[in-house]
Amino acid sequence: MKARSLAPFLALAALVILAPLVVHYPTLEAQILTSGLLALGFGLLLGQMGFLSFGQAAFNGIGAYAAALALMWWHVPFPVVLLLGIVAGAAAALIAGTLAIQGVGVYAVMLTFALNEMVYYAAFEMKGVTGGDNGLRGFVRPELFGISLSNSMAYYYVVAAVFLATFYFVLRVIDSPFGHVLRAIRENVQRAEAIGYDVRRFKIAAFAISGAISGLAGTLYALLYQFVPLEAIDFKTSTDIVVMALLGGVGSPYGAILGAAIYTVLANFFSEMWARWPLLLGVIFCCIVLFLRGGLWELGPRILRSARALGGGGIAADSKTL
Amino acid sequence: MLQTRRLSKRFGAHVAVSGVDLDVREGTLHSIIGPNGAGKTTLFNLLSGDLQPSEGEILFKGSPITRLNSARRSHLGIARSFQRTNIFPQLSVFENVRIAAQSRTTASFNLWRAARSLRDVSRRAEEVLREIDLLEHAEQPARELAGGDQRLLELAIALATDPVLLLLDEPSQGLSPEDAKRFMGRIRKLSEAYTIVLIEHNVNLVMELSTEITVMNFGAVLARGTPQEIRNHAGVRDAYLGKRG
Repeated sequence: MKARSLAPFLALAALVILAPLVVHYPTLEAQILTSGLLALGFGLLLGQMGFLSFGQAAFNGIGAYAAALALMWWHVPFPVVLLLGIVAGAAAALIAGTLAIQGVGVYAVMLTFALNEMVYYAAFEMKGVTGGDNGLRGFVRPELFGISLSNSMAYYYVVAAVFLATFYFVLRVIDSPFGHVLRAIRENVQRAEAIGYDVRRFKIAAFAISGAISGLAGTLYALLYQFVPLEAIDFKTSTDIVVMALLGGVGSPYGAILGAAIYTVLANFFSEMWARWPLLLGVIFCCIVLFLRGGLWELGPRILRSARALGGGGIAADSKTL
Repeated sequence: MLQTRRLSKRFGAHVAVSGVDLDVREGTLHSIIGPNGAGKTTLFNLLSGDLQPSEGEILFKGSPITRLNSARRSHLGIARSFQRTNIFPQLSVFENVRIAAQSRTTASFNLWRAARSLRDVSRRAEEVLREIDLLEHAEQPARELAGGDQRLLELAIALATDPVLLLLDEPSQGLSPEDAKRFMGRIRKLSEAYTIVLIEHNVNLVMELSTEITVMNFGAVLARGTPQEIRNHAGVRDAYLGKRG
């Protein structure tokens, strides 16, 4: 049981470790992993708890600013930078979650959107701190235990390690008593409450975890480019997160990284060739929403099932000829 | 065990429950009957904490619980089943009951260990499923259960929280007459272990099962007493039983 559930994770780990050695784009690949973390944080809320958050970029951006500013002002060491990003993202999500869950249904979704817009304009106005729409520059990747991370391969492996650790943590959360309560809330809030769960506390805690992961993603991204663009906190980034998560499928954390990989690669290659590439993305997205609700990650099991059905048919046909 | 004092619930100008005094004694099976729209389910929602009363007070074991939400009341030992099946449809039958049993532990905020490794919780879920004859369907998604089995699951979820007081809102709703009869046999057995408040339409079954009956009409209590007293109550016969000749 345990070994079987660990196998896909080990496969993912191997893929993440080998990727830049096979296809040498460490910066792009590191960005796939940070986007993957964002989709992972989003998927925890939608896939497990059934809450659609259109404000994930807020946690990403706040984490990124917190990390960058801590580096600029206090020159804190690398692990502290990560910790600050996590704490800032979690704290922002704690507040946003507490407010957002006051709303019901679509109003709760609108609240996440509105809160995201608020922090975006705050970041835009506070030019002295965030650099406004010029973005925030002037910090460099710190060393990690005396090892320089200025080399993009070295930094990739730091991102990879953090990503895999977070991914494993999310797998554990999904399987934990807490994760089971989230799914009960997703399935039936009233009954979850009736059997004794203080639903509010679980929702807020889920938000905090999602925000922590998003803040961590923002921090890693900021250190990747040694730059925090205003887009990091923009509502448009929140929609990108929704799109990549649904593309891969929110039912599984593996769907999150798959969606982030496809989205990031498409965005990088197509945006240079064809400025209207989101048109193509729109078509793909529509197809998935209409025909493949579980996202691309569902495609694998589906193909396996039909292959098995075909195989079974073949055996039946054979036995007939005999 | 459970008392209400002048309990009322208004929705705008409509008074759904009007000044109800209820006294459910420990160890009894207390039925609430009355025509459709008499306010029975609204009263239940007030007792379980799904609704807040407009006026009045609810006491459980002598302490007021009027302002507690349904989660807090669940932890005091009050469990309810719903008139319309209210389960976790995509989750397995086992998980539906397991998650209810898990609510009795302090492990629900644990992010790291596997939920299935909570042995006592799994054992309790299994026990309840066996008791209620659903163990063979344990791994099925709850939504795939037949209607009658969903009613059983509805009850199993409530039982898994180890309550002392069961609020059962038409538990046999939607069952065939034979299944309903069998279901009521179950409830008779449960009444040996739990204090039960029951809403039920089948008056003959109620008369047979109950130790005490409260009759509601237009949101208010019309009569209360033993089945024998209710049977002989002239007002009840006119308002409710009279229809059945």
